[in-house]
Amino acid sequence: MKHPATLPARILWNAFFWTYERASWQYDVMVIAILAFVWLVPPDWLKDPTAHGMGPIGWIFERFR
Amino acid sequence: MTFTGLIGRICMFPLRAIIGACVALRIHPNILTFVGVLINIAAAWELGIGHFVAAGVIMVVANIFDFIDGKVAVDLGAVSKFGGFWDSVIDRFSDIALFIGLIYLYSHMGRTDYVMIASLAMMFAIMTSYTRARAESLIAKCKVGFMERPERIVLFMIGAFTNRMAGVLWVILVLSVFTVADRVIHTYRALREPRREVLA
Repeated sequence: MKHPATLPARILWNAFFWTYERASWQYDVMVIAILAFVWLVPPDWLKDPTAHGMGPIGWIFERFR
Repeated sequence: MTFTGLIGRICMFPLRAIIGACVALRIHPNILTFVGVLINIAAAWELGIGHFVAAGVIMVVANIFDFIDGKVAVDLGAVSKFGGFWDSVIDRFSDIALFIGLIYLYSHMGRTDYVMIASLAMMFAIMTSYTRARAESLIAKCKVGFMERPERIVLFMIGAFTNRMAGVLWVILVLSVFTVADRVIHTYRALREPRREVLA
């Protein structure tokens, strides 16, 4: 299988077809990306059955509107 | 040092004390494994009735048992093939129990969309383990893909403590799909090119 040539495509490829060890810097980046998704994406966007509101992103939008 | 490595080291301090206590009391590791699944079932119950914080606390306790059983086995000199098999089987029950708790909750709320998401996440979580186990009966090693059990469990805890279970389920589902695909592709390549497998 050939790896994608462009940098963004290569980053996505390596993120999804994961071969890195735990506690590597790549693992840290992945963990940060996951936590950002879980905590920053507003529950309303995901139609979360147990949480409501716009979360931190909604709060930021409100502050700067 | 990476920050996930630092968190791992910090968590090891209390765990070493617990491992030491279990070794001193000569508790058999297979019993620790079994107690872990019973506590996980209690966590699943709490998830099922929507008590996420309680579920999170119980999951922490359950996964201490899950984590220490292997280390206690080593320290007690009680490592056995059956112990490894028993641990893998019981881990699957623990995994499935947590998903069933969420499926019950969402079906009780009439949210068929999240019943489906939780069910698919459960299916791919099980397939993640199965593909590796089956692959390693054919090739030497198949440790590829991000979303393994420790990642799933930590995500479940984060979702429970911060009430962000929907986001957590999406992450588990998407990354588990890629992990399964990754393992199928890795095994296909290793079997097609046996010489490369020997070198890997």
